[in-house]
Amino acid sequence: MRTKLAIVIAAAGLLLVAAPVWAHHAFAAEFDAAKPIKFRGTVTKMEWINPHAWIHIDVKGDDGAVTSWMIEAAAPNALLRRGWTKQSLLAGTEILVEGFQAKDGANRANGSIITFTDGKKLFVGSSGDGEGPPK
Amino acid sequence: MKYRVLILIIGLGIFSWAVSLAAQTKAAPVARSFAAPKTPWGDPDLQGTWTSDDCIGTPMNRPVNLGDKLYYTEQELAQRESTLAQQAKNDKQEFVADNARVGTGPPGHWGERARRPCKQTSLVVDPPNGRTPDVLPEARTRPIPEGAGNNNPKADSWEDFSYYIRCISRGVTGSIFPVIYGNGQNIVQAPGFVTILQEMVHEARVIPLDGRPHAGSNIRSYMGDARGHFEGNTLVVETTNFLPNKTGIGLNGGGLPTSDALKLTERYTRTDPNTIAYEVMIDDPKTYAKPFKVAFPITQEPGYQNFEYACHEGNYAMFDSLSGARALERAAAAKTK
Amino acid sequence: MPDGKPNLTGLWQSLGTADWDIRDHSAQAGPFYQLGALGATPAGQGIVEGGDIPYLSAAAVKQKENFQNRMKLDPEVKCYMPGVPRATYLPFPFQIIQSQKDIAIAYEYATSNRVINMGKAKEAAVDTWMGTSNGHWEGATLVVDVTGLNGQSWFDRAGNFMSDNVHIVERYTFADADHINYEATIEDNTLFARPWKISLPLYRRKEKNAQLNEFKCVEFAEELIYGNLRKQK
Repeated sequence: MRTKLAIVIAAAGLLLVAAPVWAHHAFAAEFDAAKPIKFRGTVTKMEWINPHAWIHIDVKGDDGAVTSWMIEAAAPNALLRRGWTKQSLLAGTEILVEGFQAKDGANRANGSIITFTDGKKLFVGSSGDGEGPPK
Repeated sequence: MKYRVLILIIGLGIFSWAVSLAAQTKAAPVARSFAAPKTPWGDPDLQGTWTSDDCIGTPMNRPVNLGDKLYYTEQELAQRESTLAQQAKNDKQEFVADNARVGTGPPGHWGERARRPCKQTSLVVDPPNGRTPDVLPEARTRPIPEGAGNNNPKADSWEDFSYYIRCISRGVTGSIFPVIYGNGQNIVQAPGFVTILQEMVHEARVIPLDGRPHAGSNIRSYMGDARGHFEGNTLVVETTNFLPNKTGIGLNGGGLPTSDALKLTERYTRTDPNTIAYEVMIDDPKTYAKPFKVAFPITQEPGYQNFEYACHEGNYAMFDSLSGARALERAAAAKTK
Repeated sequence: MPDGKPNLTGLWQSLGTADWDIRDHSAQAGPFYQLGALGATPAGQGIVEGGDIPYLSAAAVKQKENFQNRMKLDPEVKCYMPGVPRATYLPFPFQIIQSQKDIAIAYEYATSNRVINMGKAKEAAVDTWMGTSNGHWEGATLVVDVTGLNGQSWFDRAGNFMSDNVHIVERYTFADADHINYEATIEDNTLFARPWKISLPLYRRKEKNAQLNEFKCVEFAEELIYGNLRKQK
C-alpha cells in the first residue's frame, strides 16, 4: 500500500496554493511503504548535513537489546535560518519517530513524524516568523 | 421579470470583467524610480543575500485556462495571503494533527515559506500565455534524468538520476528559480566583478565586467561562461558555453536537457531597498522554437543568510536509492527461483 | 580600494607541491603503477615552518595509517570540499572578490567557496566543510579566523589531518602587486602538542585570458564511490 503523497501533504497541514516541487530525490525510492516503523529512541548524534540531516538514535527493543538507527530529517538550512544550531538537538534527548524502513533492510528510516516524548513536534514553526528551536 | 434578471446577470458579468481588468493593470508592478545605491567604486550596488522564496509554488507554466493573465487580482492576492497565514498557523501547531498520516514522502517541516503572496500566475512571463514554447522535434528524443517525482525510479546507476540528485549542479536557471528550500543568492561585488554565491548547490558565479570575450567554444561547463555589464542600474549578464545535454531549465534544473547552443541573458535591477527585479531570456535554438522569458522578484529578508549546502559529501540518499533498488532486484530474483 | 584597504580581488594560485605533502618530500611512486609517471608524487619543499608537524603520539600513528590508506580515505579523491587551508594550495586557481563589505573566495576545485564575514564576528551554527570565516584588517594584513570546520578535511594527500576542534587563523599580506604572502596558524590540542604554522606565496594568474574555470569533479568520482551498487547486466 503506497501512501499518496497528496494525503501526506494535506495531513501534515501543508496548505500551499499550488503543488510544491518536492526537491531532491524520490523519497519512496529509499523507503519501503510496506515496512512501517514506530520508535522511541535516544538521540546519540545529529548530523547537520545536506542534502538531508540524519538523526542517529538508539532504540531499546522489548528484549532490552539496543539497536542503532539513522532517521532521515530535513535539509538543515531551512532550520538553521530559523535559528537552530548544533546545540538544538543534543545527544541524550528522547524522541518518538514514525516512518518507514529502508528498502534494503538497513536500520534507516525516514522521519515522517518526529516528536518529543510529550507529543510536541520537533520541528515546529516556519521560516519568516523567526521561530527558533524549542527551548 | 426574466429579462430584468438577465440584464442584471449580464451587467454583473460586465462589471466583474471590468473590475478584474482594472485589477490586472493595477496589480502589474511598476518599477518606481528608486535612487539605487552605488558601491564606493561607482557600480550600482546589488549586494546582499536575496531569495526567491515569495514565489515558492508558482509553476513555470501558467495553467491554460488563465490565458494571458500574468498577475493575480487584489482579491486573489488577499485570498492567497490568508492561505499563507493559515499555513504559518499550521506550521506553529505544537502537536501533530489527529489525522496526520505517516508517509514515505517529505513531511511539512522540510519546506521554506513565502513571506508574502507571489503576484504572478507563472514564472514564464513571455510569451504572453506564460507557457514555454514548443520543443523542437530533434530535442524531443533527449532522455530526461529521473527527478524527485518518481517513487520507483529506474535506478540502474547514479547516471539515471538528475544532476541535482547527484549533487552536481542545478544549472544557472535552476539555481535561482524558486523551490521549496535553498533559494538564497548572495551577491558580492568588487571593482570589475560581480559574484553570485548560490546556496544550492554551493555555486559561485564569477562574472567579469571588463568586456573580455567569452571563453573559446571548447571550454564548456554546467554553469556556463558569464560576462556582465551595467546598463544604467541594471546588471546584464550573458552566459554561453554550456555543456550540452545536462541540466534543463525546469525547477532544480530538471526537465528536458538544453543544448550547447543555450544562451541566457539575465537582468538584475534593484527596484527598492529590499527587492531586485530578476528576469532571464532563455534562448536555445536547438531545443525551443523561440526564446522565452522568466521573471520574478528576489527579496532581502531580515536575518536571511546562506548556509553551506555541501550535498555530495553527505549524499546517503544516493547510496540508499541504489542499494534499495539492488535489494528489490535480489528479492525478486529469489522469488523466481 | 577607495577606503584605503589593499584590494585582494583577482585570480590567485599557489605553486609548489604542498597538496601532495605539506612537509619536505622526495619524489616517489604513486599507488597505481598503471599511471606510470603521471601517478607519481613530485619532490618538494614543505610549507610547515620549523619543518615538522607536532603531532601527539596517537595522532602521529593515525597519520601513518591515513597515508597507507590514502586512496580510500583522502577526501580529495572523492571530490569532497577541501576545507581550509588546503583549498589555498590545491593545484587549482581561486578568485577573490573583495567588496567594501565582505570578501568572497571562489575556488575552482569542486566549486568550493566561502564568504569571509568582515562585519561583526558570527559564531558557527553548525560545522561545515569550508568552515565559518570572520575577518578583519590588521594594518595591511587581512586576518581571517576560521572555526566550525567539521574536521573531515586533510591538509594534503599524505594523510596529514585535523579534527573538528581545529582553529585556523589565516593572514594575507601583499608582498607586491602580484604576490600575496599567505600564512596559516593551526591549533588543535586533541592532535597537536602546540600550534604550528604554514606559509607560502600566492601568485596572481597573469595570462591574458586567465579566468576561473569549472571543475565539478563529482562525476569523476561516482564510479569509485557508487560503482559496487551499479546494476550488473
